[in-house]
Amino acid sequence: MEIQCTKLEKAVLVKVSGRMDAENAKQFQQTCEEWIARGATHLLVELSDLQYISSMGLSCILAVAKAMQNKSGSEILCGLKGLPRQVFEMTRLIGLFQVFDTPEAALATLP
Amino acid sequence: MIRRTIPAQVDRLADCCAFVREGAAGAGLDPQEMDKLDLVMEELFVNVARYAYTPGEGDVDVAYSVEAPGRLLVELADSGRAFNPLASDPPDFSRGLADRPIGGLGIYLVKTMADSIRYEREGCLNRISFVFSAPVNSGAVNPGQNSGG
Repeated sequence: MEIQCTKLEKAVLVKVSGRMDAENAKQFQQTCEEWIARGATHLLVELSDLQYISSMGLSCILAVAKAMQNKSGSEILCGLKGLPRQVFEMTRLIGLFQVFDTPEAALATLP
Repeated sequence: MIRRTIPAQVDRLADCCAFVREGAAGAGLDPQEMDKLDLVMEELFVNVARYAYTPGEGDVDVAYSVEAPGRLLVELADSGRAFNPLASDPPDFSRGLADRPIGGLGIYLVKTMADSIRYEREGCLNRISFVFSAPVNSGAVNPGQNSGG
């Protein structure tokens, strides 16, 4: 799994590539928690190059969403496709998130 | 069945998935389906590594056999504390973000993706078996791995 973060004007773009599994999913959560601690209000999690996610990855994404909600912010998912999208649909988590095709589309909705 | 004993440690997950992928290749499963098989194996293997034993102790005996082209039978057995993960309640999908539990999705995914999954307690063993069925990658079936027993 590779994580690339880019601070934008309205949000932090967190691009996750590869495989998010039980061994590495916590790295994603820790990265996001560091941005939350630094005052980020919106996290755009870009998943178009994510090939694989297991329940541990889902748990970490959900934990970040809860933390953002507690800060009156949001975690927005972009580019969800393939097996990760199927997994979000099977677990009905997809209905709990704002989901966009691209970060640009998500950014256009932010104040 | 073809068997391998793997230490029940999360950092051995890749070994577990690679071993079962050998069986999946023997069953001619489409490579695109391999990630789904990995997902089922991860949820079951990590469950044992985290909950069956004192962390860092114990093994998982993993076995597979090719039932037919596109059908792989997989078993995981451990000698940890008796626990039937399949008995867990399904997730409550009606809950919103604030009330949705962080965990509990892994076994639901396993039940969704695997066929004929069952748990048995045999003596001091927990044994889970399932069938993974998927489209066949035409021409890829290796008869040399198509052996039961």
